[in-house]
Amino acid sequence: MAITAINPQKENEKSRKPLARADTQFSIVARRFRRHRLAMVSLLVLGVIFAASILARQISPFERDYLNVESGAKFLPPFSTSPETGAIHWLGTNQIGQDLFTRLIYAARISLTTAILATTLSTLVGTILGTLAGYFRGIVDSVIQRVIDFFSNLPTLPILLILTAVLVTDPRLIPIPTFLIKLLQAIMLFDQEREARVVAALILILTLLGWTGVARLMRGQVLQVREREFVEGARALGASSLAIITRHIVPNAFPPVIVAFTLGLASSLTAETSLSFLGIGIQNPIPTWGNMLAFTQSYMFERPYLPLIPAFPMFLCSVAFNFIGDGLRDALDPRQTK
Amino acid sequence: MVNFLIRRIIAMIVMFLVITFVAYNVLSLAPGGPLQELQQQQQNNANRLDPFAIERVMVRYEFDLDLIPRYTRWLMGQPNGPLNLFGQEMFGATQVGCLRKGETIFKYPDGRVVVSDCEVPVYLNDLKGRAVSKGILALDFGTSQGVLRGRPVSEVLNSRIGLTLLLQGISSLLALAIAVPLGIYTAVKQYSKLDYATTTVAFLGSSLPSLFWGLMGLLVFAVLFKQWGLPYFPAGTFVSNTPQTVPLIGVIEPESFGDRAWHLILPILILTFVSLSGWIRYIRASVLEVLKQDYVRTARAKGLTERAVILKHAVRNALIPFITLVVTILPGLVAGAIITETIFSLPGVGNLLVAAIYGSDYNVAMAVLLLSVVLTLIAYVLADILYTVADPRIRLR
Repeated sequence: MAITAINPQKENEKSRKPLARADTQFSIVARRFRRHRLAMVSLLVLGVIFAASILARQISPFERDYLNVESGAKFLPPFSTSPETGAIHWLGTNQIGQDLFTRLIYAARISLTTAILATTLSTLVGTILGTLAGYFRGIVDSVIQRVIDFFSNLPTLPILLILTAVLVTDPRLIPIPTFLIKLLQAIMLFDQEREARVVAALILILTLLGWTGVARLMRGQVLQVREREFVEGARALGASSLAIITRHIVPNAFPPVIVAFTLGLASSLTAETSLSFLGIGIQNPIPTWGNMLAFTQSYMFERPYLPLIPAFPMFLCSVAFNFIGDGLRDALDPRQTK
Repeated sequence: MVNFLIRRIIAMIVMFLVITFVAYNVLSLAPGGPLQELQQQQQNNANRLDPFAIERVMVRYEFDLDLIPRYTRWLMGQPNGPLNLFGQEMFGATQVGCLRKGETIFKYPDGRVVVSDCEVPVYLNDLKGRAVSKGILALDFGTSQGVLRGRPVSEVLNSRIGLTLLLQGISSLLALAIAVPLGIYTAVKQYSKLDYATTTVAFLGSSLPSLFWGLMGLLVFAVLFKQWGLPYFPAGTFVSNTPQTVPLIGVIEPESFGDRAWHLILPILILTFVSLSGWIRYIRASVLEVLKQDYVRTARAKGLTERAVILKHAVRNALIPFITLVVTILPGLVAGAIITETIFSLPGVGNLLVAAIYGSDYNVAMAVLLLSVVLTLIAYVLADILYTVADPRIRLR
């Protein structure tokens, strides 16, 4: 990427140093990635945000839905002290007197977990189906291709809106095992099971509409890798299809999928935020960056700092995911020899 | 080619049917629906509605019918009564729905006893004379159930689509007009100052959604500029009610051309910026890829001018991604600006879709969805045809 601004001459000097014998593929990639300064900074920023959201309960000075019933506790400016508990509202309070800093951290936890789970699931589905299509070809391939064509010809946002509107209002329409719901509830620190069901429904919808890109990518990769000599060798040695796929094909075809995963995180985050902003995805009282933004929009004339509070972490995360994706793409590029 | 088109059109029809059927069914799964309001009114003693009134509404919205007859009536206005074959009415007693649920035991004179969970079934005969749309296949989208209750959906759509077409049309053309030359230029002059500046801006623009840029644009150009006494843009309205005085520009009369433009400039700029950023990156990457190819080196080695190398050899070969890009404008024309329209409260189709979903107006939601599905399908076929024009090596089979 042009943004990294690498001086080509400096690069050449570095590459003249002989490479150590013990270099593994991983250490080569890691070294190339470390050279991508913006990606490293992004990793750090994301680390801080992740740590804050993991420690949500420990860091946040208030309960998530804590309501300051004192009149005049609405729209407290940042750094003001709560008249009730004496704790400090680092970012002030919202229109009903809830602590914005607390809600922001919980929202980070919810938005990021949703994005990560949705992207992981869709990458998993895409990888499996793409590998099957590329490896077995023939009828398997054409069936999977038709399904991919079907999903990728959908107008994403309208479909997403309609599906979410229906399934989030009545999340019991999708049968999800209770233990998974309980797990999600524990991860997201929800008090009610219903909240976890809503988020689970949204995750599944994002997965349903998000797997085709990875599947197409993986199929293309596998089609190339399966013709390579080491696969032929493995086949000649009598390895089973399963062994060839898991030991030889997937590891060699996977690098572009890692990049797609990172960029997919950004787009899942965007999708969730946009839906929640429209009031169709995750809704109040569950805080997400999207529905926090929707609330601040009504009050931004009097208090222009309000939209910045949820917008800033959203900005940081989206840009960080994209920088890391770019860094990984450069680091994993096999045409690059440095 | 003809063969290909026939197959593609058949595939399109199948896809169209599957998507509409699934979407129609998913929507009808939604709890509540247009009847929820009425049922709440019924529970509320102050405004008592008798159950028969609700049943009449159910009949009008066809909620008493089973999914499949309801879908086919929506699709093509059939069945509208018993099947009429050579003057003979057939299947008149086939049950197609249920008006009132409840376990009922039917005892027939011949001794049969049938237990049904339907108290008042609807038969094919009952559909005779019931009002029905001509079906979407005849371009009749039915009646709006929420947004403008009782009016034809096409009327609702007509009143909204102009604005979205204007927004998306102008912003797409603007974005294309800037992205294509800038994308090519930055690829040719890789690592130049302009390239760094462009790629950085484009990176930021494409990393964040229109939601972010729309709100930030509103914050800076509508809220802060107004406070600072700079020329500002309006927020949250579509037309002015009173003459507005804007610093450095003057007075803007309500409902004038200037007023329209004043309200539309900011959303158009935001839409342009977001699509522009993605497109520049895309075009730059594909031209860079082509510039690395051997035939470009050959063209240079032949002694062609740089201009000829880039325009005749590089750009011509990078046309395929351009086509993909231009074609994606098409489906966006209808529902491509949902977020932007919501942020700026513009009464376009995207806004309509959100309102329809909120108000359980399924006919309107389905109509919007349908238009974007059809446009998407057309766009992909169009892209395939254009590929063969751009690159004679591609043959459609």
